[in-house]
Amino acid sequence: MSSNGTGSPKMMRGAKLVALYVLAIAIALALSALLIAVTGGPWRKVFTALIDGSVRKPGRWGDTLAESAPLLIVALGAIISTRAGLVNIGQEGQLAVGAATATYVATQSSGPFVLVLALLGGVVGGAVWAGIAALLKYWRKVPEVISTLLLVFIASQGTGYLLTRTFLLLDDDPNKPNRVQTSAQLDADTRIGFIRIFGNAFPWSVVLAVVLAVVVSVLLSRSTWGFRLTVLGRNPRTAQRIGVPVVLAGASALMLSGAFAGLAGATMLAAGTANYRYTPGFANNVGWEGLLVALVARNRPLACIPVALVFGALRTGSGFLAATGVERSIVDVVRSLLVLALLVPPAIVAIQRRRVSPPPAPVSTDEPVVAVAR
Amino acid sequence: MEGAGASALAPAVRLTGVTKRYGPVVACAGVDLELLPGEVHGILGENGAGKSTLMKILIGLVQPDEGTVELGGREVVIHDPQTAAELGIGMVHQHLSLVEALTVWENVLLGDASKFDRSAARRQVMETADHYGLEIDPDRRVGELSAGLRQRVELIKCLRRDPKILILDEPTSVLTPAESEQLFTTLRDVVAAEQRAVALVSHKLAEILHATDCITIMRQGRVVERSRTVEATAPALAKAMVGRDVSLRTSAAAFGAIDLIDQGTAADQALRAERDEAAAAVAASDRAARPVVLTIDRARLVRDGVTVLDDLSIEVRAGEIVGIAGVEGNGQRELGDLLSSLVTLDGGSVSVNGTTARTGRAGCMADLGIGVIPEDRHDSGCVLDMSVAENLMLDRIDSTARMGLIDRKRMRARAVELMREFDIQAAGPDAPFGSLSGGNQQRVVLARELGHRPTVLVAAQPTRGLDVGAIEYMSNRLRAAADSGIAVLLISTELEEILALSNRIVVLSRGRAIGELDRREATSERLGLLLGGVGIDEPTGASA
Repeated sequence: MSSNGTGSPKMMRGAKLVALYVLAIAIALALSALLIAVTGGPWRKVFTALIDGSVRKPGRWGDTLAESAPLLIVALGAIISTRAGLVNIGQEGQLAVGAATATYVATQSSGPFVLVLALLGGVVGGAVWAGIAALLKYWRKVPEVISTLLLVFIASQGTGYLLTRTFLLLDDDPNKPNRVQTSAQLDADTRIGFIRIFGNAFPWSVVLAVVLAVVVSVLLSRSTWGFRLTVLGRNPRTAQRIGVPVVLAGASALMLSGAFAGLAGATMLAAGTANYRYTPGFANNVGWEGLLVALVARNRPLACIPVALVFGALRTGSGFLAATGVERSIVDVVRSLLVLALLVPPAIVAIQRRRVSPPPAPVSTDEPVVAVAR
Repeated sequence: MEGAGASALAPAVRLTGVTKRYGPVVACAGVDLELLPGEVHGILGENGAGKSTLMKILIGLVQPDEGTVELGGREVVIHDPQTAAELGIGMVHQHLSLVEALTVWENVLLGDASKFDRSAARRQVMETADHYGLEIDPDRRVGELSAGLRQRVELIKCLRRDPKILILDEPTSVLTPAESEQLFTTLRDVVAAEQRAVALVSHKLAEILHATDCITIMRQGRVVERSRTVEATAPALAKAMVGRDVSLRTSAAAFGAIDLIDQGTAADQALRAERDEAAAAVAASDRAARPVVLTIDRARLVRDGVTVLDDLSIEVRAGEIVGIAGVEGNGQRELGDLLSSLVTLDGGSVSVNGTTARTGRAGCMADLGIGVIPEDRHDSGCVLDMSVAENLMLDRIDSTARMGLIDRKRMRARAVELMREFDIQAAGPDAPFGSLSGGNQQRVVLARELGHRPTVLVAAQPTRGLDVGAIEYMSNRLRAAADSGIAVLLISTELEEILALSNRIVVLSRGRAIGELDRREATSERLGLLLGGVGIDEPTGASA
């Protein structure tokens, strides 16, 4: 909300946050080095690979940007539902359903607007998947935390099934010998184009993601819609009294949140993740990590942009780690440690602020901390 | 060392020159305070006078910027509540901090670091309870207990640690008069028999006069007066507290408990005389000819199989104040919820000027022009962590927006206007609502609901927890609202408040209107009988 611009304590807090980040990342790196060294790996090489893979080697910037875009889009959706006081943690599933829907639309239809239709398909797919959770919540009072989470597993199994039937998603190209469990490839004219700058190439969905971040930021902080959503999230009874329809507004926020995840899936598909095909495991943790991006950015849409970049860099960087010969599971641990290092400082600051300032009354926590199973 | 001047006893606690600032706001400015063992020390002041901050310093929740704290003549620094507990300081907070899902004994033990065994713990709880005559079942779940019993649990929790210094922060704000009376009896025992020092923080004159030995009055962070209770009078205290002469009539509710606690004092009698005279004046103007604005017709509401509103019919005319009297828990909350669009009726209807509401639809009552000052403003009257301006414009945000985008400048300007008109004290329109004192929060709610020009204004317990000045203000505003033609429905469990403000009184019992009185026929005695369940005109054929 609006800050009452007292300069110095705010700057102090900022400086403290930066210091905490440096410290946390240093600890995470030290622990990672120790872990790699103990398991007999070359830890120096690991860190070099991380930086090479994310930014240093030619062309890596573009890849990092491309990885960041869907993370950012997912995070924006997460912020919308959180703002309405709903905890949607099913982005991984909504993304998968969105991507599968987009694949179906893209491979089954033709014409000049197939790409647009496919992206819209992603939006609708994600929204419908989140809509199931909304229906369960407002019809049967099933907590959305649980339903969105469990729907992730149904989504991954369900889209897996779609890949077993040719009239659904399975590639029906008879010339392809090994066509088990992959969809047909998107045609060249239904793919997202690439922007090339200084030897780096990234899809225009990156621009779309940044535009969406700005739009979401403005809508949440400035629009009457965002205002009502905030009232709903912070005090549903007050919302009901002033005329915010709780069910309608809540359900649409949850569905919009799913729509963002679905769109992220569609852009991944059309920007060439998994070689323009839908495959099992397509979501590849982007849904979970997008959720973490929102968490680290403490639900501020614009802050998600740099955070998504860092998470994207970790993804591209760890791609290079595999080449160092370090075991895959160790690579995952290193990445997770770094993610944790990013999560801890804002949490510490938030806790301290709650302790220091005299609490006026028990206030509902606006940032539900969610343990994410990975 | 022993600088005990007037008193022979060394003070249990001495605060010297304690100052605490929050940004530009000085919560406490050079406060000196001594608590003597064996005495109940009343600390009186309006909301925001610095009472609570002072007590938080004593309990270690807040660190003073300046000044010293001495315990038994030794200077100490109280870092946190744990330190305070070790030093023998215990506090019962205004907002109870119990876990509803746990039992009484579990709550009492909460916060103990050591391991405990169940039977020993229960025994200890019962021993403490017996010792102080605080009867309680240790195995009941706290969620099932009434406010009075919950507070008893807090008290036991505190006394179990055998504190030398006991602090009670607004202990009676959630209690009925009878429960308050019992609490004070317990306090007397604790003080007289065990030589503890007690600080009783309150803004209710009656209980300060009734339950304390000496009084310190605070205003705007400073001590403005100290006196022995025997030498104090209600008007003098009120004046010192508010800083000017206060009409005792309008602040009658602040003295609410007086005639239940103490019939004798001259001040009390003067107050009663003034009140009755005023009431006659209020009732004298005949408002029967005005049109009926709000009609609640045979409203029926069943919650969890219990009928909480039972064929309730109420009419309110333009320009009159109808008081809904009743003991808490007889449908007041549900009536408030109904008029706040929060519940859907199972039968009957609500209409304003002939337009019937679709009960339960979001904002249906607000659309009909019903403004509500809710019983618990934190529950449905505000959003704590939004700004004052946002809270003021909560239901009219569209009027500040162009094409769906809020014009912050316009919103602020409108908010500043309302803040000026309703004299809301805040750092500015952007200050978080939660940072305001209770009285100012209530003014924000009032400003928003009245700023609308509502057709009907519902005020549910509008002065609960407010101090004399704020009560006076609220009462005047309600009267002015009625005078301007608004139909006012006042829901209150404070008889004094009902009597002081209403033109007509409806008595609510188990969700039914069991009696209706014109103000002229209403006396405390008669209302008391009705509240006790003795109806005047028992509706005989209501079931048809």
